[in-house]
Order: sequence, then C-alpha cells, then structure tokens
Amino acid sequence: MLTREQAQKITEKALSFSTFPECDISVNSSERAFIRFALNDVTTSGFTVEQSMSISSVRDGQSGSTHVDEFDDDSLREAVKRTESLAMIAPPNPERVPPLEKQKYPELENYAASTASARNQAMIPHIRAIMDGAKANNLMAAGFFERSAETAAIANKQGNFGYGRATDAGLSATIRNAAGTSSGWASQPAVLIESIDGAAVAKTAIDKCLRWKEPKRLDPGKYTVVLEPTATGDLVQMMGFGMQARGAEEGRSFLSKKGGGTLAGEKLFPEFITLRSDPFNKLYSSLPFAGGGGFGFGGGGGGGGLPAERMTWIENGVVKNLVYDRYFAAKAGKQPTPFPNRLVLEGGGKSLAELIAGVDRGLLVTRFWYIRVVNPQTMQVTGLTRDGVFLIEQGKVTAPVMNFRFNQSPVEMLKNTVAMGTPVRVRGGEGQGMIAPAIMVKDFSFTSISDAV
Amino acid sequence: MLTRRAFMQSSTAAALATRLFAAPDGSTKPNPELEKLGAAALREGKKLKASYTDIRIIRYRQQFLTVRLNPERGTGKTLEVPVVSDGGSFGFGVRVIVDGAWGFSASPLVTQEEIARMIGEAVAVARANAAIRSKPLELAPVPVYRERWQTPHERDPFAVPLEEKLELIRKAAAEVKKEKGVFSANCNLSFRSEDKYFASSVGSSIQQLNLQTYGGVNATATDFKRGLSKSRRYQPQQVTAGYEYVPLMNLVENAERIRTEVIEHLNAPPVTPGKKDLVLMPSHLWLTIHESIGHSTELDRALGYEANFAGTSFLTTDKMGALRVGSDLMNIWGDRTTDRGLATTGFDDDGVKATKFPIIEKGIFKHYQTIRDQAHLIGEHESRGCCYADNWSSVPFQRMPNVWLEPGKSGTNIDDLISGVEDGILIDGDGSFSIDQQRYNFQFGGDAFWEIKHGKKQGMVSRVAYQSRTTDFWQSLDLIAGPSYWQQWGAPNDGKGEPEQINSVSHGCSPARFRQVNVIQTD
Repeated sequence: MLTREQAQKITEKALSFSTFPECDISVNSSERAFIRFALNDVTTSGFTVEQSMSISSVRDGQSGSTHVDEFDDDSLREAVKRTESLAMIAPPNPERVPPLEKQKYPELENYAASTASARNQAMIPHIRAIMDGAKANNLMAAGFFERSAETAAIANKQGNFGYGRATDAGLSATIRNAAGTSSGWASQPAVLIESIDGAAVAKTAIDKCLRWKEPKRLDPGKYTVVLEPTATGDLVQMMGFGMQARGAEEGRSFLSKKGGGTLAGEKLFPEFITLRSDPFNKLYSSLPFAGGGGFGFGGGGGGGGLPAERMTWIENGVVKNLVYDRYFAAKAGKQPTPFPNRLVLEGGGKSLAELIAGVDRGLLVTRFWYIRVVNPQTMQVTGLTRDGVFLIEQGKVTAPVMNFRFNQSPVEMLKNTVAMGTPVRVRGGEGQGMIAPAIMVKDFSFTSISDAV
Repeated sequence: MLTRRAFMQSSTAAALATRLFAAPDGSTKPNPELEKLGAAALREGKKLKASYTDIRIIRYRQQFLTVRLNPERGTGKTLEVPVVSDGGSFGFGVRVIVDGAWGFSASPLVTQEEIARMIGEAVAVARANAAIRSKPLELAPVPVYRERWQTPHERDPFAVPLEEKLELIRKAAAEVKKEKGVFSANCNLSFRSEDKYFASSVGSSIQQLNLQTYGGVNATATDFKRGLSKSRRYQPQQVTAGYEYVPLMNLVENAERIRTEVIEHLNAPPVTPGKKDLVLMPSHLWLTIHESIGHSTELDRALGYEANFAGTSFLTTDKMGALRVGSDLMNIWGDRTTDRGLATTGFDDDGVKATKFPIIEKGIFKHYQTIRDQAHLIGEHESRGCCYADNWSSVPFQRMPNVWLEPGKSGTNIDDLISGVEDGILIDGDGSFSIDQQRYNFQFGGDAFWEIKHGKKQGMVSRVAYQSRTTDFWQSLDLIAGPSYWQQWGAPNDGKGEPEQINSVSHGCSPARFRQVNVIQTD
C-alpha cells in the first residue's frame, strides 16, 4: 500500500500534468484477506490488492472527472488530460464550489499493523472454533472473516494535501440446525484483529440457534421491543442519509417542516437521545479527512476533503446539526459539515437483562434484514427480523417467536425509546454498522409474519 | 503489498490495456498477447502443483453523464447542474485449486511477473485453507473453447461524441422542467464496457466484450404547504447493446409524459388497503421475479453457502421437480442468451458456454442455477453457466442469469387483464423492495399506481405497497398478456456474497395479473 511519501509523489506527479486552474485528486490503495465458510467447511478465500485514483479538473466552472487504477506516468498524464477534455465539453456547473485551500487535518490514526498484515493463518483458528462448536452441537456453521487495510490521500492544485491509514476486521457467523428449522447469528467488528474472539462469536450464535427452536406464531401488530445493539444499529444507521439540510429544505426528508423550512433546533426525541459522528472513537479506525476513499459513508459526497471532526446530529433529543455540503453551506450561510460517518448513538447504561426485565410483554430482537426505505419523508423503512426473535413476558424471555416483517421509521422508533443499554460497535448484514446500545422501544410496528428461518 | 519494483514495471499500463483489447476486424481468436499472459498464469499454477488454475484479465470502462435541473436556494432560478465522468479499471484475478481447496488473488499490475507472484499468493491461500477443508472440490467437466465473443452492437457508445449525449439529456431534463409544478428534474445516460480474457488449465482461451447501456429521466414535485413530495421516473429498459439503443429509449417523449404524471402522483389520494387484484407491468414485475424466483432458485443459497449473508432458500433440494411454486401459467427460464439481457454473454467465468434452461415449468420447480463446483452436489454432470465475478479483484461464484417469465397466449392484451378486475391496482415501475432470507415474505412498492374499478383503469393513487408469500403470490397468477407485450427490465446492482459483489441481470415478462394480494397503505 502507498506510504505517505509514495502518495505525495504520485499526487504531485498527477498534478504536474494539469493545465487547468483546478485539479482535485484522491488516491486510495487497499489490501484485503478473507475467508468465507459454510456447511462447516471453507468455501471461498482470497487476498487482493487494489488501488485507484480519482481526478477532477475544473476551468471556468466546467468540470470533468475520471478514475484510474494505473499510476504510471503515461496513465496519469492520459487521465488528467481526459478530465480536461471532458471539462471542455461539459456545461458549466453552477453549483461548483472553489477548491479547498490548504486544510489542517487532525492527527487521527488508529491503524493496527497486526490487522494490516494478518493472513489466513491468523483467521483459521477462530473459524475452526466456530466449526468445532457447531459440530459438537450437531449444527452447521457459515460465516465470513475479513481484514482490510487502506491508505488514502487527497491533494489539489492549491497545495492541499492529506494522508491517512485505516484498518478493520470483522468476523460473523450463522449457525443453523441440519433441518434448517433454527438459526442463530453473532458478529464482531474490530480494528485490532487480535481482539476478535471466534469462540465467543460461536457461543453466542450457537446459543441463539439452540434456543430459537419451534418458534411460536404471534399476530403482527405493535409490540414493545428490546432491540439488541445490532438491531438498533441496523435501523439508526439509516438516519445518517436523512440528515442532509438540502433534502430537509427541499421538502424531501423527515427533517422538513410542513409549510417550508427544517426541524433543526427542535426537540423531536426524548432527553436521553444523542446521536453523533465520532471518527476519533477508538472503536473505529478512520481517515483524517472526509471523502477521498475510506470505509463507510465517507466516500465522495459534498464534504469531501474536509477535516474529519466530531459532529453532534441530535443532542439530548434536539436536532442539533444538519449536513451541509460545501455548496449548500455557502448558500445557507452555514459551516460545511462532513457526511454522517462513524455514528455513535449514546446509551443509558442498562444491561440487556435489565432492559428485558423492564418489559411486561414484548419481543427481543437479535437483528434486522433487507431494510429498505419506503418513504424518505417519514424515514419509514421495511425489513424483517432475523436469527432470533423471542417473546418477553413479565420481564423474562419465555419463548422463541416466528420472524416478522416491520414497517417502521427509525425516527419514530427513537421517539418511542424508553430505556437504553451500553453502546458497543456493531455491524449487521447491511451497511457499515455503528456504535449502538440495546434499546427498549414502545409501539414498534410489525405488519406480517415471515416463515423464514 | 505492491513492491516498488512491480510498481515501476507497469509503466505502460493504459497503453497495454488498449493494445490487448483492441479488436481487429474479423478476428475470431483471442489476442496473442493476452494468450501469452494467460499461459504465464497456467505455467506457474502447474509449477506450484495446482490441480486447476484460471485467470481473468479485465479492462472496464464506465462513462456517466447526468444533468439535474433544480431551483437555486434563495433565488428560485433554475440551475442546470451537470456531472460528466469517464473512468476505467484494469487488472487480473487468478484462481487455483490446491489440496482440494480454492485460492484466489488479484492485482492491478498486469505483468507476467506479477501474475506469477499472485498465483503464488493464491496457492498460499489454498494451502492454508486446505487445513480446514473437509472434502475436496469437484469441478463438472467443460469443453475446451478458443473463441472471441462480443455483445452484438452497431455503435460503440464510447466513440459517440459527448456533445451528442449531453444535448440529448439536457433536452430531456428541460422537457420535464417545463411543468411549473416540477421542483427538480434529471436525466442520465451511462455506459459500461467489460473487456475480459479468460484462460484455464482445462485449455480454454476466451476473449469477450460485454457492453451495457443505461438511461433514465426523473421528476420530483413538492407541495410545501401540505408537506408532500412525490417522484415519477422513466426507466428505459437496461440493455446489453451499443449506442444504437439510445434513440429507442425515447427519453424526450417520455420526459413529457412523466412531467404530467408526477403532478398527478403528488395529488393522488392514498390507496385504501385490503385484498386487491394486481395488474403488474413488466417495468415492475421484473423485480418481483428477481427477488422471489431468481434468488430462491440459486443452488448456492439452497445448499447453505449464502446462509451468513443473503440467506438460504425455501426451495431446498428435496423440492426440485416436485414443488408447485405457481399456477400452470408460470413458465420461467434461466437464460444467458436472451437478446439484450444484462446477464447475456458468450461464456461465464468458469469458461462455460452461455445457455438457456427451464427453472419452473407449468408452476413446478425444475432446475437450479449452477456453476462447475456445484453441479455434482445435486447429481448433475454439467454447469448451467452461472459463474460471474463483478471485478477482476472479485472471486467468481454463482450469480443469476437472466430469469424470465414466458408470455401468455398470443392475442391476450393489457385490456383483457384490466377488464377482469373488479377492485385492483395497476403498478408501473419499481419502488421499495424487501424480502426475507429464505424468499418467502416480500413487500414491494412501485413507481406509479392506478386504481382499477369495475374493469376500468381509473386515476392514480399513492402510498401503495403489497405484501405476499412467494408461493401464494405466484399461485394467484391467472392471466399473462401475449408475446407482443414481452419486455425485459433489470438492474446493474444485484448484491450477494461476502465480500459483497454486484451483478447485472434482466427479467423479461409480459404484463400479468395476480388475484387478491394484500395491499397496504404506506406512510
């Protein structure tokens, strides 16, 4: 992967070919090693190296972009030339913002050399622990272990330059019985690969599978639910996309005010709801700038190249900030913000057992699946429960329950939240995940039953 | 890690890609330079005792053009915001089987030395994995091919001047914005080419060019007083074809239509929920076919290989040849040879020739989608050619072919479908979609909805979604329009696998009618 010096040299080289007043470059190189397993056996596995550069040239408001993954002089020269040719043809972009002046990027690096160098030998003992645990219980294991490392740099003709490195790893496992009538799941994302514990992942997933047997058929309807942290994260991460000021002002989002304007500054949620972006949280490995590559929601977007910063979107129930890209911020007289990334939903410190104990009749949900936006104006989403739903009666988990489809807005869900647990880093089946606590929510809307296991 | 040396060696990568994939007129065999690079991979695999080796060397090109028209904040003046992007990618991926286990590696540096190095990496991966592999892999036999194939096309979209493309999308977007009630409009065109060379230790050497062409027009209308915002989209069929397809999209003519329909959508009353008959247009039904039938008949899902991510399938192997999925009218094909289908190609990423096979016959589930390392698991002796990787850096695995529904009888028209409906909804275009991990319970929205009352199409309604169970839904199919109505829509972004990969796939059908489906009113 590219070192700071290599990145500097390559971006300088590319910029040297530019004949336009503006040229923006972001370069990314990454490595990943992964093993996929199923039916208590390894299936696919690989080691890949990738690199790419995005180049954008602008003159008189006319802009052209390209991306290449060849960094030799000829390829870079040709790529810069291509962006300039495209720009000369493109109509001027009235929403173009001036190039970023030299930025001061924070000292932000949580890069684990052990994760970056790990290969299959480091992953296999954990996978073996999961397979052995499954076999000992006559169950079938499937899962995925991946580690990745990336370096990224941004540069422009105005002399701005930023460089960062990030690593990440994750292990997830699904345990099913041979008859296919029961399923359990667990996952552990981590920056440090040595903190991943295959035996612990196996134990949780196997326990879920063994307990979720012959589920009861309950009627759909509104239930009090206790969402495990992954289930909370599955839904709350969707809100990041809806925080944009432009969508709110243009009447397309849950933060649009009827009659015009936005709901910024209004108290929509209970006191204890606080949602932030925190690229400095040690559970994440982040780049020092937004956009220009990177894991998560940071790639591209209107905040590209801005220094990474902590942002509070909802504070003590009040909508504190909206997302302003550089163009819209200038128009609205606001400070531009990075895109909501590295989300953290603060918690209330209760244990999962305490949350369950507080429910008279409700459901405990492991995670959600196939979540799609139905109406961006209310943030209503639909999806299904997966890998373990249980009935809670008088503060105790009493029986497994068949999966449900839900139609529910995470915004309404946070409004109806009554208690919260301790936040942990989670990553479900979709999206990048976040840091989220288990939560207890009233009136969660399930609309039909699913036969799926 | 890219070494400094390897880095310097690739000093003419762009020129190399152009030279390797240039197609001299009338050539029917792969480029000799590509064959030389392929041979280097096979030689190294043999040296390192791989029982199977293959290589894919790929160059992608993508061009994306869009124009958005929206009011400027503060002044309300209409701004025209263009995006013009043209990029590419070039690299290779290698697969080996060593000690009965797969190994894979990939790199963007296309040189003989790097190919040999990455074969070594793939062998190391396979050796490590063999320690936890319980039974060796088995590949179904495949004939040896030495061929060149390309998407049939008349006009290379990358050779068409940008000015011509921009003029068209600016005109279409402007056409939408002529209606004062339209808040914003956009129009886009995009093109993707995949130049791919495949060589395997079986002896095959195959060069292909796959070309995709996409377009679309969108309109958004907003009523700030009522706090409502609705959209309407014209989505032309997504195709494997060249630029000759673009005029057939009729972007400007359809822009005129959707600017009226978006206003109607904004003012449409919400649907009254309940059991209703549905008349589903091909622009909508493709996605229901995709999710409920396309994915449930993938063998890797049925066997449990996708259990940790996309899920398994209600169509377990004991149901093959036995389970009634739908009514007698339901005949579904898996097909990588369909004219202009997004998954249409010459050969798959196992080097298997594209084919067509029945998936459902008269409502009964008959066959799975398979690849070489799966066929024997269900007692079959050949692959059905469904192997694909979405990048040179991705591992090939089982992906969906075009999966299409046979049309109804000749002469059956859309009015026949509507006239038989007392209380129903006609749905055009796709909207939100969600289905469970075994493909039973689904919910689909749409892009636009019209009420049908007493056998007649009425005005538009809004906030519609339907929920059903795959087998209940397909058994309620009672009429399909004839062959002249058959059209295919699809998507370039079907997700599956870990690390997740996307796939492009089309699903042809004629408008079809489904009885007494549960319609809900969404927010």
